[in-house]
Amino acid sequence: MPMFDTLAYGGEKTPVVFDIGTAYTKCGFSSECSPRKIVPSTVKKAKTGELVNIYDISDREELYRLLIDFVHLLYFRHVLVPKERRVVIVESVFTPTMFRETLAGVLFKHYEVPSVVFVPAHLMALFTLGIPSGLVMDCGYKQTIVLPVYEGIPVLKACQALPFASKAVHNYLDAQLREHGIVRDSQGEEKPLSSVKDIVDENILEDIKVRCCFVTKLDRAQQIHAVSAGIKDAELPAPPPDVQYPLDGANTLTIPGKIREHTFEILFERDSEEQSVSTLLLDAIIQCPIDIRKTLAENIILIGGTCMSVGFQHRILTELYSLLNSPRYKNRLALKSFKFHHPPSKRNCVAWLGGAIFGIQEILSTRSISRDQYTKNHCMLPDWCSLYDYEESDNHSAILLKKEASKEVLPSVSKSPRSPVVAKKV
Amino acid sequence: MATYMDVNRVQYVAFSGTVAPLSKLYFCRHCLKLRSRDCVSQEVDSYYCSNCLENMPSPDAKLKKNRCANCFDCPSCGHSLSTRATSVAFQDPDNPGKSTPKKVYYLACGFCRWTSRDVGLKDQLIASGGWQEQENPNEKRISELLDYYKHLAQKDQTEREKKKYSRRRSYLHLSEKFGLTSHAIKKRSALMGIGGISIKDDDLSVDIEPSLAIDKVEELPDDVFTKPIVLTDVTTIRQRHANPDFQPTHISQLYPRHKTMLIKRSQRCKECEHNLSKPEFNPSSIKFRIQLVALHHVPEFRIMSLPNLQINKEVQLILTLFNPLDTLTHVALLPSPTDELKWDTAKVVLPTCELVLSPRDDTAEFDDTVDQQQNFKDDPSVVVSRKSNKIGFIVKVTPMIADDDVRISFIMKYDYKNMTPALQTEKKQPEITWLQFPVLVNLGKITG
Repeated sequence: MPMFDTLAYGGEKTPVVFDIGTAYTKCGFSSECSPRKIVPSTVKKAKTGELVNIYDISDREELYRLLIDFVHLLYFRHVLVPKERRVVIVESVFTPTMFRETLAGVLFKHYEVPSVVFVPAHLMALFTLGIPSGLVMDCGYKQTIVLPVYEGIPVLKACQALPFASKAVHNYLDAQLREHGIVRDSQGEEKPLSSVKDIVDENILEDIKVRCCFVTKLDRAQQIHAVSAGIKDAELPAPPPDVQYPLDGANTLTIPGKIREHTFEILFERDSEEQSVSTLLLDAIIQCPIDIRKTLAENIILIGGTCMSVGFQHRILTELYSLLNSPRYKNRLALKSFKFHHPPSKRNCVAWLGGAIFGIQEILSTRSISRDQYTKNHCMLPDWCSLYDYEESDNHSAILLKKEASKEVLPSVSKSPRSPVVAKKV
Repeated sequence: MATYMDVNRVQYVAFSGTVAPLSKLYFCRHCLKLRSRDCVSQEVDSYYCSNCLENMPSPDAKLKKNRCANCFDCPSCGHSLSTRATSVAFQDPDNPGKSTPKKVYYLACGFCRWTSRDVGLKDQLIASGGWQEQENPNEKRISELLDYYKHLAQKDQTEREKKKYSRRRSYLHLSEKFGLTSHAIKKRSALMGIGGISIKDDDLSVDIEPSLAIDKVEELPDDVFTKPIVLTDVTTIRQRHANPDFQPTHISQLYPRHKTMLIKRSQRCKECEHNLSKPEFNPSSIKFRIQLVALHHVPEFRIMSLPNLQINKEVQLILTLFNPLDTLTHVALLPSPTDELKWDTAKVVLPTCELVLSPRDDTAEFDDTVDQQQNFKDDPSVVVSRKSNKIGFIVKVTPMIADDDVRISFIMKYDYKNMTPALQTEKKQPEITWLQFPVLVNLGKITG
């Protein structure tokens, strides 16, 4: 049949696009409006049968084997990819080098794909909007990353990241439920959740978060933070109604309204470095040259699954305005307004959609790494964090440099210089 | 019969070095090598729907986004929906007093009792449906974007071509100005968008309205603080992800989804590109047109009886050997020369004589008059049992390491009559080749 494919649809076959997120993988064909499937980024270990997240595997060889299984499912169960398709991988800028190299190895060596291109998720978000510049915040599972993009070039120097996203919310919710959650069994007997053994796993936590919790308004949140900071006379706002959540056939968990409202506050609480999800946006703007700041502030794009939480976007917007008047930013930023874009897709699929739009273009062939190039370059991939010159592959010292460059340390490096130099300029 | 229960007890080493039980290996009769999952390439052979078992040609499947035209999944639990018929009284417009019964159809889930009526979908007059498809409201905008970026990319491409021909003057070569890093970044494609070339060029015939940023976002509804949640009305994340276009948050927005097709796969040897396995086209058939699995071509070992394994004590182990081929097969067992896999934890004494296996005969099982045993002159100290194409033979094992599984390895050498189609047409005698495959056996823990 492949012959008819090419005849009927004119030459170039549509590439496949994978956005392998830390929690969910979005997969589908380029030039379509939405991914075919959204599946958990987990894979079953052949020996033990336990499900593991593909980003949690630290052993290179094991990762290689399990990625073969994972990509097999994507290829032959979820997307049903015919032979010889180019591949577009949408990735976070902080994807571990080991992971992307192993993935490329699986695709090139095991699946023998003609070409692969890795594209940064933040840049792809702009493709769904038709604008060249914007401030993109990706709030997903493990990390929240803010990356400004100006005229199609990501400003890596201003990149901001925090290890607070969905997973932190789950952990907080778990701790709170263990402390305050009450389970009623079929006899109507009530006991604390902590006495029931391991009944709440992360899937249930996620379900509770998605169905019951919401991001509260700023004024209420300020009261909550005041109470938790132990300020006198501070009072909690009247909590929303409790929810009866059925755990299994016998047990029902009562989720206090307080937990429903407070759960997401973990993202907005300032940590010891005075950072929260919303300060990331302003810090990223501060790191940028003064003449592009206004453009960025008026082109904010929120992507990632956590941004779909009820009330999240509104909270970010109100926090930004309130932060602007805080002493920390008052004299450093002269911004008047913030504006948000509304991408033509659900927020968890925005990066995928961008990749799908990028994937149809003629330049894909020149931008991607072909199988020949891959083998010629000793299975190395071009990467922003390495000095290895991809086209001049004889440079051995560069190869060594590349091997030492570990991307995982970079977020903290980019975070630490809080750049007083820039601040003075303002 | 340890290997009936646990296939991983006896494993074979494929050509690529992969260790796997025989049931998971292929045998390429063109290169005469054992092939594992790592050295075969998978292909999509045909598309079919698992519910109606209807076959779909691949261009059709592509158009329908690999979804069956007739079958639906329940948006609530993912089970297949079935069509229900019921009769509804219709008012006759001509004479108002009279009503005529009419047959109508709706979709219902047999598992969770969800019906298409729950979400207000109108009943259909024909059984096959005519259910309206949900349309993504952003489809037009996205196709505009696609056109726009396509155009931009073409421009980018022509500009590159131009640059190739016009000689760059060295003093204008700015990339050196920023040192090595930016030089390298320039070449590194992945981080750069195609926005690098000026988007606002006048000669762009295709133009789109860039997305407009607004300073309003959806507010948190006030009743969230007071209204109790009806948990059964809020969709779970799995229900949302089942429909990536809409990701409904309330159960009233659930909509039946066309069932995703499944595929039949065929496997191909990566080296000689011959098919190793090809299923029959018909979705309801479970047979194969080509099936070169190793079980049909390579003699299979099983552990018959396991003696008490004791450290540094020689014990006799009985292995059975099956001949899957319909020719007389001679098997010799050789010690494995180098232990690259660091597998062995025991000393093994292999039978030195050749083991002869009678051909497989499916009818022999029912035929108990013929006693084939007479035909072979077996050494009774090696071969302890023989029945049709199966023998049991003795291997002596001395476990050497105390706190590990007892593992032995050897090389099996057997004569294989090569019946490749090319040779058959030439009407030659089938060529006999001796094949060697390393075999790894795990006997389990030391017992006492």
